[in-house]
Amino acid sequence: MKLLRLKAEQLRQFRAPVEIKDLEPGINLFTGPNESGKSTLVRAIRAAFFERHKSSSVEDLQPWGDSAAVPTVELDFEWEEQSWKLVKSFLKKKRCDLTVDGAPYSGDDAEEKLSSLLGYEFAAKGASKQQHWGIPGLLWVEQGAGQEIQAPVEHAGQHLKAALGGNLGEVTSSTGDELINQVTAERAKLLTTTGKPTGNYAKAIADVEALQDQFDALQDRIQQYRQQVDRLGQLREEQSQAETERLWETYRQQAKEAEARLNEVESWQREQDRDQQAFKGCQTSIQTTLELLSGFHSQQQDLARREDEKKAAEQQQADLEARKPASEAALEEAKQAHEAARKALKLAQQHQQRKELVRELEGIDAELVNDKSKLARAKALHASLLENRQKQQSQQIDPQTILRLKEVVSALDRLAIQQDAVATRLQFDLTDDHSVTLDGQSLAGQSEHLLIEPGEVAIKGVGSLRVLPGGEDVAEIARAKQSLTDEQESLLTRLRVTSLAEAEERLKQLQTLEQAIQQDESVLKELAPEGLEALSDQLQLKQARKDALAPQIQALPEQEEDSPSPSRAEAQQESAAEALAGAQAANQTLKSELLLAEQALNRARQEWERLSNELQAPDRKQREKQAGEQLAELRTNERRLSDQLAEREAQIKQANPDALKQDVQRLTKSADAAEKQEESRRFELIQLQARLESAGAEGLEEQSAELKVELDRATRRKRELERHANALDFLLARLTEHRLELTRQLQAPLQKHLNHYLQLLFPEASLNVDENLIPEVLVRQGHGGEERGQFNELSFGAREQMALISRLAYADLLQEANKPTLIILDDALVHSDAERLKAMKRVLYDAAQRHQILLFTCHPDNWRDLGVVARDVDGLM
Amino acid sequence: MPRFLHTADWQIGRQYASFAPDDAVALAEARISVIERIAGLATEETVDAVLVAGDVFDAQTVSDRTIRRLFNAMAAYTGPWILISGNHDAALAESVWTRAQRLEAVPANAHLALTPEVMEFGDAGFAILPAPLTQRHTMSDLTEWFDHAETTDGLLRIGLAHGSVQGILAEDENATNPISPERYQSAALDFLALGDWHGTKQINPHTWYSGTPEQDRFRGNDPGNVLLVDIPEVGTEPQVEILPIGRHPWIQMSEHLAVSSDLDQLIGNIETQPEQAVVALRLEGEISLLGKQQLERALSVAEARFRSLGYDLSGLSLQPTEDDIAALHADGYVGDVITEFRDQQEGEGGEVARDAMAILASMLLEKQAQGGDG
Repeated sequence: MKLLRLKAEQLRQFRAPVEIKDLEPGINLFTGPNESGKSTLVRAIRAAFFERHKSSSVEDLQPWGDSAAVPTVELDFEWEEQSWKLVKSFLKKKRCDLTVDGAPYSGDDAEEKLSSLLGYEFAAKGASKQQHWGIPGLLWVEQGAGQEIQAPVEHAGQHLKAALGGNLGEVTSSTGDELINQVTAERAKLLTTTGKPTGNYAKAIADVEALQDQFDALQDRIQQYRQQVDRLGQLREEQSQAETERLWETYRQQAKEAEARLNEVESWQREQDRDQQAFKGCQTSIQTTLELLSGFHSQQQDLARREDEKKAAEQQQADLEARKPASEAALEEAKQAHEAARKALKLAQQHQQRKELVRELEGIDAELVNDKSKLARAKALHASLLENRQKQQSQQIDPQTILRLKEVVSALDRLAIQQDAVATRLQFDLTDDHSVTLDGQSLAGQSEHLLIEPGEVAIKGVGSLRVLPGGEDVAEIARAKQSLTDEQESLLTRLRVTSLAEAEERLKQLQTLEQAIQQDESVLKELAPEGLEALSDQLQLKQARKDALAPQIQALPEQEEDSPSPSRAEAQQESAAEALAGAQAANQTLKSELLLAEQALNRARQEWERLSNELQAPDRKQREKQAGEQLAELRTNERRLSDQLAEREAQIKQANPDALKQDVQRLTKSADAAEKQEESRRFELIQLQARLESAGAEGLEEQSAELKVELDRATRRKRELERHANALDFLLARLTEHRLELTRQLQAPLQKHLNHYLQLLFPEASLNVDENLIPEVLVRQGHGGEERGQFNELSFGAREQMALISRLAYADLLQEANKPTLIILDDALVHSDAERLKAMKRVLYDAAQRHQILLFTCHPDNWRDLGVVARDVDGLM
Repeated sequence: MPRFLHTADWQIGRQYASFAPDDAVALAEARISVIERIAGLATEETVDAVLVAGDVFDAQTVSDRTIRRLFNAMAAYTGPWILISGNHDAALAESVWTRAQRLEAVPANAHLALTPEVMEFGDAGFAILPAPLTQRHTMSDLTEWFDHAETTDGLLRIGLAHGSVQGILAEDENATNPISPERYQSAALDFLALGDWHGTKQINPHTWYSGTPEQDRFRGNDPGNVLLVDIPEVGTEPQVEILPIGRHPWIQMSEHLAVSSDLDQLIGNIETQPEQAVVALRLEGEISLLGKQQLERALSVAEARFRSLGYDLSGLSLQPTEDDIAALHADGYVGDVITEFRDQQEGEGGEVARDAMAILASMLLEKQAQGGDG
């Protein structure tokens, strides 16, 4: 299809007609600034096709404010060598005239023709919307809608399918799609998406399993019941057999017999024991008799022994007795020695004591001498001290006062000097000694007077001169001097001296005195620290002691030349004491030994006597004889018994009582066991019977049969559902498979065209479309290998590019199917960068070889290298 | 002239697991109700005794209720019932019989012949020689003792046994419980009433199997009867009349469908089967969609008529015709799918293809129907 001419009149800003002619078969580039009318032209073309001429929803076509306008569009185009001319006006004058190679169509017919040619629909009422635009909706891109591809493809779907030919069948055959949905839904009731049983199918499987388990359990129990029934039969049989045999009775009988025999043997045993006892008794008696006899014999021997013993004891006693006096004597000696030693010691001690006392006395004497002198001295000192103290008392003089005196004196001296210096000097040198007087005092000779107070100098015959010494100082000094002199006086008086020197002398004396006192005091202190009295007392005491000692010494004896020292005497005494102790001990021992010996002797004597008496007894002989006879008798008995025992022993052995005992045991046990078995069998029978009764009442086999009914039914149901599920699964698989196959058949050519354009943009890239022929995934060769990007996740610019490429591919497809393809791009690719734009231009150029493209833009610079002359829309008006 | 009813193999307590629960219950019930009819018949025909030759119960541990119901069902005939134990209900140390006795469910006129001892009914003029089974598995001929058994003179000697007559019966699954075919002779029996074979069968004029009174399996060997036996005198040949008493015949049908007329014939066949029958239908071959609809309708109708209808269509492949496919409006790839399925029905994976085809066809038909309404 090739558009040849477009004319718009009374359409928006085009109040006056505006015409575009000589449109090229390839790219037609229209440039112009915003508001220049580019979009209006696009609107005009769209209105001419999409809007019914009768539509009242096209008021936007009117120029502003001109409601009387009749927006009109004229289009000339060529299609399959036919010349189509369309004139359409709206609103105030509704009109639609079409001629196709001269053949006229108008109104609705014309509009039908147009819509079926291009593949779109009209709105039933109101304005035409996206869902009506069909194929042109896909190929005529509005401003800002470039990146949207899915919706236009969907809306164009039917028309695309219709246009792309019947031998490809229905891609989304509506029957097919509905069927697939239905089958999917049905399948989902029984199988999960992964093919596992669910819903009723899963339940059926579970039911079968559960019932099977129950059934198996019942079967086990039935089996058990049967086994128990068999056992019951067996037991009954055993029991009846046992009843017949009555084994226990046999055993008991046998046991009894064995027992009887055993008893017999046991009675033999008892006799044996008795005889054994008797034998033993006999032997014992023999023994006793023998002993008796030997006893008699030994008695004799005994007596002899006793005699010896007695003798020995006597000897012993005698010996000891003999030793006695010696021991006594020794003891006595020791006593005496000890006494002597003791006495010696005492003497030595006394000597010692005397010595000591003498020494003490001498000491005291010395002391006394010393003490006496000390006392004398102390007394003297004391007296001197007293004296000195008295002196001190009387000569007391206050050093402070003296000091003050000293000060005063020196002050006076100072004052005097001052006075002297300050005083008015009256120096005279008189020739006449009696004519001049000072204060009545005559002056003579050469001298000088210091006047410290007004004086009167009377000169005889002349008159008197009053000399007033000037200056305050003089008066001051005089006053001071006076006061000091007064003080001096008083001080002297107080000190009771006449001069300082005296005072100082007195002080010195006093000090010396004090020193003397101190010295004396210290010496006194040394001598008599506690005082004179104490010293005196001590002296008294010592004296007294001395007095006492004298008689004591007198009392004690004096030492002799060779008398031993106390220590030696002590040692001697000790040893004497030891000796004494020893002698005492020896004596004691001897005494006790003697005692023992006497006792022993007594005993021995008694024994001997007794025995002797015994042996003298008259009936002894008799008894001895008797014993002999008895012995003989006993021996005979013994022999007899021995033989008897041996005989019986053999008898018993033969009878084998142990074996008999075991037999009794064994047979008794066997009888017991047999009875017990019978008992337990009876018990088991009862138990088994009871168990079977209750189990039988359960009607296990009937239950099992009923359960089998349910199980089989459940199994059939499961099988049905299984088959149904499998069939649905299979059906779904086949349907989808076929559908997919069909899609692929359509996808292939579209894919081919897409990739053809894509190569110009991204080498070795591919854009995959989904089963609805909508671009889905862009596959590129990136830096790290293959990159896949979902269409919806591409950038705005990339989507614009991919969408445009898709539209061009659709256009190619349509063209191959001999359908008209007019492409209108209003401000396309605004978000593409320079690099991409370059590539897109190559794409457009290539597409333009096959399709007429109207390209509107307000960026003429971007499109200079398209190979076409731009038309300025601005210049149209 | 003594007269008896001879029956056996009641198999009370048998459950029919392979049937739908309702049917199973009904069939189990039928086994009891036939006893009632036997009792009624016995009274009607004024028999001297009813001889029951074993397998009265299907299992030892039927429920107490079942035991009581059985004996209750026998109430209508107050004359003697003589029952022996078979292999299903052998008289073991503990058995359904001891249980019944403990339950005191056994009426006085029900004589349980559980030991091989002569039972004389002098007033009625006969003696029974029973050969009850007392073990789970019996390998010997339990009727042997008949030969040496003495009965009072003048009494009919009636043998009652359960087992397989040697050399006569085709099945050798019962190598157990053999019975000599000459027994009636060697034991001087007037009549030997046998059980274990479920169909009515004469071995010789004196030896009969009565068969089970209510058919219990598909194998057709003339079940569903009781025998009315008249024995004029000691030593004479018995007069035996076969009386049908069962209610539910079991019928097996197996058909091959190739053309549509086969289907018509089949449907006709089905319609002719008696009501209350237990029918098992097995079909194989091919059928069109239309045919399938027809078949389903017919089967639905038949289901209501019969006691039970089971059918196996696994051998039947669905072959939609061109018209069928066109009628389905299965265009585009859906049609391809149908074709694929159609061809895949033979051989491996045929079942799933068949089922898938059926589902697809029914969905399309449904859509058709909806489309027609909408």
